[in-house]
Amino acid sequence: MRKALGVLLAVALVAGVALVAYRPGPAGAQGGGTIEAAVTFAGAPVIEKLKVNKDTEKCGTETAIEKVVVGPNKGLANAVVSVAGAKGAPTAKKATVDQHGCKFVPHVLAMMPGEIEVKNSDDILHNIHTYSTANASINKAQPKFKKVMTEKFEKPEIIKITCDVHSWMLGWVAVMPHPFFGVTDASGATKIENVPPGKYTIEVWHETLGKQTKEVEVKAGQTAKVAIEMKK
Amino acid sequence: MTARHLAVAAAVALALSGAPSRAAAQAGDAGAGKAVYERKCAGCHGEKGDGKGPAAELLAPKPRDFTAGLYKIRSTANKVPTDQDLFRIITAGMPGTSMPAWAVLPERDRRNVLAYIKTFAAEKLKEAPKKVELPKEVASSAESIKRGKEMFEAIECHKCHGTEGRADGPSHAELKDEWGNPLPPANLTKRWTFRGGAGRTEIAMRLANGVLGTPMPAFLDSVEKPEDIWHLTNFILSLGPESPNYATLVTVTAVAGPLPDDPNAELWKNLAPNNIALMGQVIVDPRNFNPSIDLVSVRAAYNDTEIAFHLTWDDPTQSVDEPAKKLFADAISLQFPPQITAGGERPYFLMGDGSDGVYLLRWENGKGVSEATANGPAKIGAIAGGEARGKAAYANGRYRLVIKRPLASKDAARPTFTPAVFTPIAFQAWDGGAGETGTKMSVTSWYYLRLEEPQSNRRFVIPPVVAILTLAAMLLVVRIAKGRA
Repeated sequence: MRKALGVLLAVALVAGVALVAYRPGPAGAQGGGTIEAAVTFAGAPVIEKLKVNKDTEKCGTETAIEKVVVGPNKGLANAVVSVAGAKGAPTAKKATVDQHGCKFVPHVLAMMPGEIEVKNSDDILHNIHTYSTANASINKAQPKFKKVMTEKFEKPEIIKITCDVHSWMLGWVAVMPHPFFGVTDASGATKIENVPPGKYTIEVWHETLGKQTKEVEVKAGQTAKVAIEMKK
Repeated sequence: MTARHLAVAAAVALALSGAPSRAAAQAGDAGAGKAVYERKCAGCHGEKGDGKGPAAELLAPKPRDFTAGLYKIRSTANKVPTDQDLFRIITAGMPGTSMPAWAVLPERDRRNVLAYIKTFAAEKLKEAPKKVELPKEVASSAESIKRGKEMFEAIECHKCHGTEGRADGPSHAELKDEWGNPLPPANLTKRWTFRGGAGRTEIAMRLANGVLGTPMPAFLDSVEKPEDIWHLTNFILSLGPESPNYATLVTVTAVAGPLPDDPNAELWKNLAPNNIALMGQVIVDPRNFNPSIDLVSVRAAYNDTEIAFHLTWDDPTQSVDEPAKKLFADAISLQFPPQITAGGERPYFLMGDGSDGVYLLRWENGKGVSEATANGPAKIGAIAGGEARGKAAYANGRYRLVIKRPLASKDAARPTFTPAVFTPIAFQAWDGGAGETGTKMSVTSWYYLRLEEPQSNRRFVIPPVVAILTLAAMLLVVRIAKGRA
């Protein structure tokens, strides 16, 4: 009897370890589905151009605040697509935002709660200034010799990032409670993989155009295509 | 009863009488604080604590919105300030803003009002404050200041605060607080306007910890070595005097030789400044509630024929008239009565009035020096055949200007400057880059100017002559007395 219990325990333990070790979660193992989202916007792009009056050797003489970036076929870039209410284990992928050419790269970053690496590859002073409510807001100087800083965003929230030295610099970090998200590329597309089969609401967030949702059904081993049109 | 019993009794008595009341004073009574708040604070901070009191729209920086639970000045690593941080601000005020020092209120009232203010954001302030540990203090020395300057340049403080700390850095005009209100950087040469105090520890804490809700970031993790915080502090303390030492009388020094036109000439460096405080003009519309220029340093000298005024003031941008961009010419003027009469009544300080005009020595960026008469701020007329000249220099957020004029006047519209006579003088200044023009200006009331008497040789001649004559008279008296005897 005792032996049997021991074996059972060992099996459970191994299974548990396997479960934890296999990321992102059990869904992948059973063959989750893929969501291919195409986000579009019918309106005109909103890009504010302005003259740079400082650090021109690093920032250029002209810069642009990219409020709405529309690519070919009305594809909307920089939109965060996520599967509302999904649950999953964290990915090991490290979140990194760089300050390069006096811009935040990427302009919109999505990550799971945890550490974020803030790089300064410009060789001039920046200050990372976050506007958040759930997480502690940060306003830290990052002088030229401080190439990397590590900060923490522990709670899901969409956080605005600015640099007060260069007032045009603007970035966003979407902290997501699960690993099922993506940020649209220049053509407005993004792919979310290993989504456990089921019916979901897809949520799209854009810094200027706000939020839109759409229902989708994910089937194991299949790709569900979703087209979402953002409106003003 | 033994001595030991006595001691115990005394301790118990002390504990009963002193400790609870002290603890109560520390904590403060929010209920009692409400009454104090409504009487003293609500005018600016609003009855609901949202910073929207009736006076708020006129103030810059804006009064604190207590419901946000966000405090600029704190000694903590998290958002929550300590009670001592808040108590300090209530007691000492925030220099350079409209927040006065409430040290006039009894301590109990200040503690109570503190407790009440915290109730506006109880949820946001419930986290325990986490004190910031400053690195080990480094005393000031030439070496430390040098290292501080290196660090000042390496971490690019000048981006906002300017190369010499006069709030004129390339980013100065774009800075905003978290509510989107424009917020200029601190002028590091005017320590007495530092919001969180001008003490060593206070400055080091602002550097280490930043100023919450403003563009000023925390530098504790962003200097090369932790003690650089203190080297920076020592450097900042070396940038300007501890206090402005405002003058009450402007002394004009007698000089034998020519008066230099160059504002950077050696003579001017050797004269002590007379620092004059300026205030916003709030009598005539449009008013200037938040003046840009708050201090003018005056050095003055005269010789046999001329008088010269050397003026220094801080202005973050050099601007000329561009009304389309809402920019105007930077300007300054010295005001005198047209005639100096002993004990006479002075004209109205705000550029005179209809019956009594004033004489102005004006300088305007791009136009130079001129002489004018005024019968009020809207009625200024140039004097034909002006004899005043001048030269200005601008560098690193500071104007230096020399205005010269003959001592003697040619007509009744302008005064003659006479040594040893108390001559009324007043000042007006405009920062055109901040949109100041016309009645939107900084002003002073009347001060006095005094040309120190020329130092003649008579003081070396007359006393010995008097002494010799006295001795001769005494000898004469002695001789007469002896003759009689």
